[in-house]
Amino acid sequence: MANKLTKVLVANRGEIACRILRACSEAGIASVAIYASNDAKSLFVELADEAVQLSGDTIAQTYLDQQQILRIAAATGSDAIHPGFGFLSERADFAQAVGDAGIQWVGPSPAAITQMGDKMTARITMRNAGVPVIPGEEIEEVEEEAALIAIEEASHRVGYPLLLKASSGGGGKGMRAVHDPSELISSAQGARREAIAAFGDGRVYIERLLTGSKHVEIQILADRHGRTIHLGERECSVQRRHQKVFEEAPCATMTVQIRAAMGSAAVAAAQAVDYEGAGTVEFLLAPNGEFFFLEMNTRIQVEHPVTELVTGVDLVREQLRIAAGEPMSCGDLMIRGHSIEVRLYAEDAANNFLPAIGKLAVFTPPEGPGVRLDTGVREGDEVTPNYDPMLAKLIVWAPSRPEALQRMRRALDEFVVLGTTTNIRFLRELCDQSEVINGTTDTTTIDRLWPNGWSPNVSQSIQSAALLVASCAEVNGLQRRTSSNSNQVISDGPVSPFHTLNRRFP
Amino acid sequence: MQNQFKSADGLVEVNISKQGDSWLYEGQSCQILNDGRLQVTTADGSVHLARAAKVGDVWWIHISGHTFKLERIEPGANASEEQGGLTAPMPGKVLEVMVSVGQEVSAGATLMILEAMKMEHKIVAATDGTVTAINFNAGDQVEQGVTLLDLEE
Repeated sequence: MANKLTKVLVANRGEIACRILRACSEAGIASVAIYASNDAKSLFVELADEAVQLSGDTIAQTYLDQQQILRIAAATGSDAIHPGFGFLSERADFAQAVGDAGIQWVGPSPAAITQMGDKMTARITMRNAGVPVIPGEEIEEVEEEAALIAIEEASHRVGYPLLLKASSGGGGKGMRAVHDPSELISSAQGARREAIAAFGDGRVYIERLLTGSKHVEIQILADRHGRTIHLGERECSVQRRHQKVFEEAPCATMTVQIRAAMGSAAVAAAQAVDYEGAGTVEFLLAPNGEFFFLEMNTRIQVEHPVTELVTGVDLVREQLRIAAGEPMSCGDLMIRGHSIEVRLYAEDAANNFLPAIGKLAVFTPPEGPGVRLDTGVREGDEVTPNYDPMLAKLIVWAPSRPEALQRMRRALDEFVVLGTTTNIRFLRELCDQSEVINGTTDTTTIDRLWPNGWSPNVSQSIQSAALLVASCAEVNGLQRRTSSNSNQVISDGPVSPFHTLNRRFP
Repeated sequence: MQNQFKSADGLVEVNISKQGDSWLYEGQSCQILNDGRLQVTTADGSVHLARAAKVGDVWWIHISGHTFKLERIEPGANASEEQGGLTAPMPGKVLEVMVSVGQEVSAGATLMILEAMKMEHKIVAATDGTVTAINFNAGDQVEQGVTLLDLEE
């Protein structure tokens, strides 16, 4: 049953590729990165033992080109492929092709991916396994006109407000909230168009929009030795455009009873599809304690670090162990302290969260106790419109929730990124909102707090200070200082003798 | 010394003066530290450390957890304020044009849908007005900053 892994190919890029490559290094497993030409200078390429450039220009010709990736795996002698998240991570046909090539897939079986990856099939599977699902209807019609008619009919039975979701969807793509029947058809067309463009499948289903609910998800691990466990919950209610921005473990309003019930439902969901590896079962938790299955993600998730920090389990390391046929290494679990993650996006929060691009002229992350940074970028990198605008994840741990929140505030204040607009200030002000402080956030928190869009809360005195600093920097020619090493003074000011000495340490 | 900057709020003139090692503006003083950071003492006596980096013509300033983007306007340059044009916020593709030339629209109306970074973005009318020009059709690729359509109040 054991099939020792000696070399893992990471079929991904950016932050998650870095995370996996580091885990390989710590596990003593050789690693291979694959990269598109516009990623040649990216951090993840540096972290791999070997790196192979993909031919082609578009994402479809590079990170999504299954045949090319399989050829590189064979040529490099890789005995496993880790797909990360996004890209090919939930493509059953790729998992199948990897297995057929005699290479170990780090993840569940193609059958489990298929059953959970198609959100409509997943709803049906879960209903049959006795896991509660959100009231709604699957729309099987593929052809546009027939689908729109079926959606219109179903909308009367489901009721408003409702949510349209792409059956092949994820990451907020192909999803629309509809509050009024007059918006239904244009929203359905938009959701289908986005779904066809992103997934090649325009099928959507309808769910009742449960307002005031929390998004709570259970991390699970399953190995080939008959063990399926859950590692507690994460709360990820704070979302903008259906994308998570602020995640924490444990959920502030969780009770021992609900955790046990939700955990058992998640384990049942995993067992219903003979799950293997790391996975996440997402639920909506209503204010009355009722919960409903949303979907299962058959891969590692962006927000996995908060679970790692409160359980002490290295989830990516466990994925590698399980893929090698070994039993998972974690024993009895205990949740210790509190962890919060925020996603650093290159985006303009003050302008409807529009993606931003530019050069990371300065990138100085926070340091100190309880702070972890999972980054895909470093100072000097260029942020381009080619890929997802998530640059890094900032994660903190502290013994209690208020301390974790205070640590996050401190860390965000220390975080300096210049040259590209980021959401750092938005995240910082989020930490001061009473709903966040009290742990009473739900999936509509951001829309409710800033119905007309967010803009920074900045004092007149700080604005004047910024103008003074810019003028002072301009007049003194500070742009001549190198951006990659801000300690190096090229002009003006005294030169420290230590900069000119070749120091040797015994 | 006089400098002119363009920020999200418009054009600002900044007159700073020098006193010893310090630069002064509106009751605040600023000194350059040896490591390239800048130290500001505000009117109430509080001290803030700032970092500055120039990319192109834009000064990026970080101070007290806030980041500012201030475009320096060269002396003598004619800084034009934004007209009624609606520009592409990102490089991307036009997915759909929702209006036609001559059409009257109200503030908040969706005029065009763009796709960038795999997500759809709505181009929305900031004011009531009449569409006077549409410069792109569905399917066209657009560069950042190009004028997509014109709206006359």
